[in-house]
Order: sequence, then C-alpha cells, then structure tokens
Amino acid sequence: MTDADTLAGLKRLNNTYQMFHAFTADTDPGDAVFLFSAKDNLTSKDFETCCGSRILEGYRPVFDATAIANLRRAGGKLIGKTNMDEFGFGTFSTNSAFGVPKNPFDRERSCGGSSGGSACAAAILDGHVSLGVSTGGSVCCPASFCGVYGLVPTYGRVSRYGLIDYGNSLDKIGLLARDPAKLKQYLPVIAGKDPHDPTSACQPPLELKGAKIRSVAVPQEAVEGISTDVKNAFENGLETLRSLDVDVEYVDVPELRYAMPAYYILATSEASTNLARYCGMRYGRQDGDYTLGFDAYFSSFRTDYFGDEAKRRILLGTYTRMEGFRDRYYAKALQVRMDVIDAYKRIFAGHDAVLTPTMPFVSPKFADISQMSAVETYKTDFLTVPPNLAGTPHLNCPCGYNAAGLPVGMQFVTDHWQEDKLVTMAAEWNKIFNVRVPEVKA
Amino acid sequence: MGAPVVRATSMDRDIVAKVAKTAHLTLTDAELDRYSRDLREILDYFRVLDEAPNHTGVGVNPVEIADVLRDDVPRQEFSSEDLLKDMKTYKNYIRGPKLS
Amino acid sequence: MKIGLEVHVQLPTKSKMFCPCPTTDAPAPNTHVCPTCLGMPGSRPVLNRQVLVYGIMLAKMLNCTIADTTWFSRKTYFYPDMSKSVQITQYDHPIGIKGVYYLNGRKPIRITRIHLEEDPGKTKRTADMSSLVDYNRSGIPLAEIVTEPDLATPAEAREFLTQLVTDIKHTIDLPESGERSIRCDCNISVGKERCEVKNVTGLKNAERALTYEMVRQVKVLKAGGKIDRETRAFDETRGVTYSVRKKEMESDYGYIDEPDLGIFHVGKFAENIKIKESPLNMTLRLAKQYSIDEAKAKQLVATSTDLAALFEELAQATDIPTALTWSTSTVTANWKAFAARQIPTAGIIDAVKKLHAGKITDTECTLELKSYMTGQSAAATQAASADLDTLIGKYLDEHPEILADCKKNVRAANRVIGYIMTQTGGSYSSAEVVASVNGAIRKRL
Repeated sequence: MTDADTLAGLKRLNNTYQMFHAFTADTDPGDAVFLFSAKDNLTSKDFETCCGSRILEGYRPVFDATAIANLRRAGGKLIGKTNMDEFGFGTFSTNSAFGVPKNPFDRERSCGGSSGGSACAAAILDGHVSLGVSTGGSVCCPASFCGVYGLVPTYGRVSRYGLIDYGNSLDKIGLLARDPAKLKQYLPVIAGKDPHDPTSACQPPLELKGAKIRSVAVPQEAVEGISTDVKNAFENGLETLRSLDVDVEYVDVPELRYAMPAYYILATSEASTNLARYCGMRYGRQDGDYTLGFDAYFSSFRTDYFGDEAKRRILLGTYTRMEGFRDRYYAKALQVRMDVIDAYKRIFAGHDAVLTPTMPFVSPKFADISQMSAVETYKTDFLTVPPNLAGTPHLNCPCGYNAAGLPVGMQFVTDHWQEDKLVTMAAEWNKIFNVRVPEVKA
Repeated sequence: MGAPVVRATSMDRDIVAKVAKTAHLTLTDAELDRYSRDLREILDYFRVLDEAPNHTGVGVNPVEIADVLRDDVPRQEFSSEDLLKDMKTYKNYIRGPKLS
Repeated sequence: MKIGLEVHVQLPTKSKMFCPCPTTDAPAPNTHVCPTCLGMPGSRPVLNRQVLVYGIMLAKMLNCTIADTTWFSRKTYFYPDMSKSVQITQYDHPIGIKGVYYLNGRKPIRITRIHLEEDPGKTKRTADMSSLVDYNRSGIPLAEIVTEPDLATPAEAREFLTQLVTDIKHTIDLPESGERSIRCDCNISVGKERCEVKNVTGLKNAERALTYEMVRQVKVLKAGGKIDRETRAFDETRGVTYSVRKKEMESDYGYIDEPDLGIFHVGKFAENIKIKESPLNMTLRLAKQYSIDEAKAKQLVATSTDLAALFEELAQATDIPTALTWSTSTVTANWKAFAARQIPTAGIIDAVKKLHAGKITDTECTLELKSYMTGQSAAATQAASADLDTLIGKYLDEHPEILADCKKNVRAANRVIGYIMTQTGGSYSSAEVVASVNGAIRKRL
C-alpha cells in the first residue's frame, strides 16, 4: 500500500474497521513525507475533536496539540483522528460513543483500549505511525492486542499541550507502529521542552545512541493469573532474549499489588476534576435550556451526554477526594505512587529493564467484554498500570501469536528518561521476530 | 479529618447520592443501585491500600517538575472572534444558564 | 465580639496568572481571553513569575513564615463564571503562614496564612434570568490574606483594611481598579457562633456589612434567640446581609494537587526578594530612633518616604535638630519640584552641611536649596527672594502697628503672612513666605 493507496481506500477500510472518528477526504498525499493519525483526545485544528464522547461533539479546537504540530512540521500529513474509549476510560475501546474499532486479526474481537483506533491503523496501514495516549496502559494494551510496537515515553518527555486531560500526573503521549524504526524516527520529533506545558520543561536531553538492554527482571507477581497462551508466548520471548545474551532473572516486587488501587484512585480523582468543565457551556454541545437554574442545567447536560463508564469514574473520583475519605484514598495513593517508584529504582539498580507480559490474555470477543463487571475490567490492567503509575517509559513488543493467530505482547520497562534502551530493543527484536501483517478486508 | 472513615463495604446509597449531586450527575433509582454496587466492589478491591506503608516525600508528579515560570509579558495568540466562534454569545458575552 | 477577615487582593501583574492574556483595559467582554483562561479542552496553565514575586513580597510584609516548597491545588465547584469548573488555588501548602500585622503599630493582628489563586470570570443576569459571562477577569491573580479573629469592632476592621491597602500599595503598588476591587469574606461572632458574609466589595461595604451583621446578631441574642452558624451575602443597595441558601454555598471542593504546574522552591526564591519598609513602620521608627515628634515624622513620610530617608542622611551628616528644621521647612517646600527633576540629593546635603559648619547663613542656605531643587538660577532665586523681601518690607512700612502687636503676640505675623500669600498668589510656597516674614519681622524688632 502506498500513501496514495491508503488515502484512496480509507473510507472503505474505515467502514470495515472503524478506526477513525474523523478522517480526511483527500486522496492525494501531496508533498507529505509520511502519513500519520492521532487519537481523538489530541486537539487538531482541521478535525473535530471529541475524545470519544458525545459531550464534546462539535468541538473545533483553535490550536493543534504540540505533538501533532511537530509531526506536521516534519512533513507529516494527519489523515484522521482515531476512535477511543470516552476520555480514555476503558481497556477495549468499547466505551466509544462513536465507532468501536475492530481487531484486524479477528473483527469480532477488540483492538484493546483506550487507543484502540490508533493500534488498528498502525496494524493495517502500511508505513503508518499513530499517536496514542497512555494513562494506565492505553498504548501498550492495544499495541499488544493488535500485534504492533507501542512506545510510551517517560511522563514529561512529550508536551501535553493539546492533550485533553484524563489524569494530569499520568497521561503520556506515545507512538504505535508496525515498523519499530518509526519509533526512533518520530520520538525526537514529538519530544522536547514546550513553553506551553510546564511538565515538559524539566527533561534531560533525549539521546538515542543505541544503549542496550542486557538484563531484565521479571516479577513473579506478573506471571500469575495470566492465560496459558500468553504464558507460552511470553516464555518463548524470554528464551529468545536469552539467545540474544540478555540476562533474565525472576524477582519479587510486593509493592506491585498496591499499584492498581493507587492508580485508579489518582486517575479517577484527577479525571473527575478534569471533566467538571463539561457542562453544556463554551465548547461541545451547548443546546440546553438556559432558563434552568445552573445546577439543573449542568446536571441535565452531563447526565444526558456522558457515557456509563465516564459517570462511574466521575463518581468514584469524586468520592476518593471528598472530605472524610480523602486521606484514606487520595492522599494515601500519592504516597503509594512514591513507594512504587522507589521499588522500580531498586530493581533498576541491578537490571536494565523490567519485563512482563503486556496483557493477561489475548484480545477478547466483544460478546465476552459486555459480560465483564467494572472491577473485572479494571483488574485486567494489572500489568500495564505499574509503569504508568511510576511514569517510567515502556514498550510493547509483539512476542507471539496464539493458536488462533491472535497477537501476544511483552512489555519492557526502563528507568525514567531511558527511552534509548527501549528504542534499541525494539529495533533488535524486530530483526529476529517476524511481526505478522493482518489480512486486510477492504 | 473531621468525618469518620467509612468502611469500604458500607458504600450506602445516601453517600452515592451525595457524590452524584456534588458531581452534578442525576441518577435514577436503578442507576443509584447499580453504581452503588459497582463502587462497593471497587472500593472493596481498594482495601489492600490500607496495608501499604506511608511515604513522606512530595508526590505531585512522578518525576520532579519544579520552578517552571514564565515572564510577565502580555501577549495574545488568538483573536476573540476565533475563540468565540462556536460559543453561544450575545454582544460578545458568553451565554449561560440562570444564576438563581 | 470577634472579627476575622479573608481579604482578596488583585495582584497588579501585566499578564494573567496562568496565561499571557493582558490584565487591563479590555476593549469589550471576552477580548482578553485565550484557551487557558476559557478552560478549553487541551489548554494548560503556566505560572507567571511575577505572581510568585508579589506573593512573597506580601508574605514578607505580613511577617509570615515563607514555605520551603509550595504548590497549587484544584478546588472543584460548578458556576457559570468558572471556565473549567475548577479554581487553581493553594490548599495545604500556601506560600506563607503564621504572620503578624501591627494595627497602628501597636495592636497585633495574627495572619493565619497568605495564598495565591486565580479569579473567576464575571456574570450578569439578563431579563429572562439566564446569564451573560465575561471571562476577561478569569485567571487574574489574587492573593488571599486570612486573619485570625483578632479584630474587635467593624470600625477596627475598616481601619485594618485601610492600613493594609496603603501598605500593599507601597510594597507592590496597586492600581485604582485593584484598590476598588478588594473583596472580603467577613467572619463575625458577637456571641459563640459566627457567621460569614461572603464576597463584600470595598472597604466601606466591609464596615457596613459587619456593622449590620453585628446589630443583627445582638438583636437575636437579646431576644433570647440563637445564632446559627451560616453563610450570608451582603446587599449593597439595601445595606443588609441575608442568608444564602445552604444548598448554593455548601460544596465539597474535593481538593487535589495540581500536577500541571509542578512545585516551587519558594524558600530559596524568597532569599533574593527585598521589600520596602512600609510608611507606617518608617514613621514609628523615625520617631523612636531620632526622638522626634511622631507628628513631624508622619509629615515627612507623608510627603515622601524618600524625603524621610533624606532626613536620616542629613541627621547623620549634621545633627538631628538641623536636619529636622530644614527637612520640614525649605526642603519640604521645594520637594515636588525636586522630585520631578530626578537629580541627586547631594546638592541638598551639601547646602545644609555648609550651613551647619557656619560657612553660609540661613538666608543663603535657603536660596541655595531653592535654586538647586527647582533649577531656578541663583540670580533669579535671589531676585525673586528680594522681590518677596521688598513686598514684605513695603507692607510692614505701611502698617507699623503690626510690629507693635508682634512684640506682644508673635501670632500677629499671621496677618502679614496672609496678605503676602494673597498678593503673591502662590508664586512662593507658604513655608517660604512664613520664613521670610518671620525673618523680616525679627530684623526690625
């Protein structure tokens, strides 16, 4: 598929796979050097930006997210905004108010979430790179389910200007691509200090010099409670690493069991404040009855246009920071995060990376997902949450396929600011591992 | 803090109703029941946090973000027309609901 | 009776707290706005350095302990003027705590804390009761100063506010609009329970609101009733406080840290920030340090703190009586002209030093000072002075009975002074006329 082919077939592809919420009608790449897409929680001037939510229908931002602007400046053409779970709330992209992306290896299965559309685009469009966003695992989970590479840089490495917030101390913009060379090529383009985002201002320079991962630590906790096909693929992955002279050691990390609750508390606490602004004024939908008192006006809007999961997380996050509960939940979670970071630092003193499977199972069927309770869904993130909570950079490498041909991924985590090791690993891995291209039905 | 700590398993409807009001969400009785159940399960899962050790650092961000300031120079990047283009306005005021 | 205040002061920065929108002279509603102060999805706050500087200066002025590290918090509540339904403020780590402020230099008023926060927009009602919102004010920086309930009466509260505003003006400057928009939440308890009157604008209204509330509480208690702890608002037009429906005001703000801004090592930052001595503190210090009349010290400081500082230099260079005499007469008389010319004080100090050493006479000193300070040439000054002397002499010649009166009562000279002032129509300062008339009379007697 050339870029022109991609553009010509975009509409039909999207009908089948539902990766894009909005996409270009251009059929000519013009003088674009490359094509890219971006998750629909990144502001774009020329496409409506909705974050997978009806409450933001009609939002036309006046500025591009820095990451998008930088890729454009480097010659990229933004071809579309990808479907996602509403505001990032989800693991399967099924909480989208618009299209739900279909797994390119089996369209009755999920692409993962919340950057499901981005992973799908990266998997089926040749030469593609997509911007995703990770808060608790939303880049590596879909990367794993769709069999592509997903790179999440350190928190603060990429400017969040233009990123519509889920959790401000957790959100990170990342890259998804079938070809790992794209990670090396585009990370320096999107990374860097941006005066519009203070959290990007304290990073050390990004140096991609080929630093290698020579030793990995595998937490015992990470290989329990995972499905057999994931376990097998992961162990094959470990064997392959050993053959590359990477030292593999199993370790105990008891702090990890606190990571999930701490993550959900911080993420939902922050999210509930970020979503308070959506009340039927100023942007998105504003078509309510102004003669209602403001409390009633705001409530009716939010009730009508937020989805189920968004409401659940708003309720949870409002509770965890309420007077009387704040100490036990919010304040405690802040402390636990520091503890988890300390635990990682201790491991990194003796190993280059932590390695786990990315997800505890392969992509589930939509029918099965609809049966899962909220807490069951949250628990599936237990492998991606710890590095996200700690703000450490991490990478999904496709490491195998189950009997039905569904992808399995493994996740490397390095210390803060050491994206170099991940980028090198992805390149080296790709030399010996054959990443399958899904059969695309147009 | 002043109010007593509520055990995670007794996430009663009244509390959820209060939370919903604070968050400006209107719930039906059925929804109140359903979300109460969900929150009860989730908070039950969170109980393990009570066992976690305390930590005395400053944890605002996972990496240190400190002393980032900008100079006091006025500057406007966007025009008022552009910013207000999709808003409901009246004589350049932005419209909103009744103040009661 | 106990009164405590939460005073909100707009800080006079050129751009807003978290975005570079201008803070003054907006041509129309919603013209000094941007994605950040409109709360548009994807926007992000960046702290204005000058806000931190002003905050630290005020904290020092209030003798607060400055935090080692400070950061910001989110206060969530829903109202049309709140562009993101979140106010970025400070919760458990404000920039300054445990200060003290001396009312009239004597009564200590304890300052609980000072913190920084952003202002919301402004709303107005339309005929059909919906709202119109102007976000020009959204994001303007505020300092909130919280006192302990150490104020004893509404009048004292007003005095405190007046003095506070003068000092703030002197420390960080304050434009007219900033001064008029001082907002207070006033807490008052006559008996055991207190009520809070929120969002009172201006010093006069603060006193009115507190007075009304005091009277109301006294009435209730006298009739044997109980005061309910509640939040009230002040109706400026009718001059009354009224209870605000609990539902409206009771909000669980659910404070969390604001990760978008990071932390600030203000302890270190504050080491390099110095503030000017306040006028009140200077007056008290001068009176004490130089054993001079407080009224005279106040006169000097009121003319200009630079003049008061010059008095100190003169006192070192010559002696206190000389410094005082000349500072309060000729130097004060010509101060305005001198200040406008922006020339060094050295010329003034030299003249007075020469006088003190006996090298020049009173008259010569007066002429030299006037000439130096106003820029009028010595000759012109002399001529003008001679004109004045001639005029005085003429009048005294025509009214010999005045000299006789002056022998008995020195105040008879006032007739001469009055006449000369009227005749010369302000071409000479009163200080100069007084000095010259007294001198002329002295010579003739």
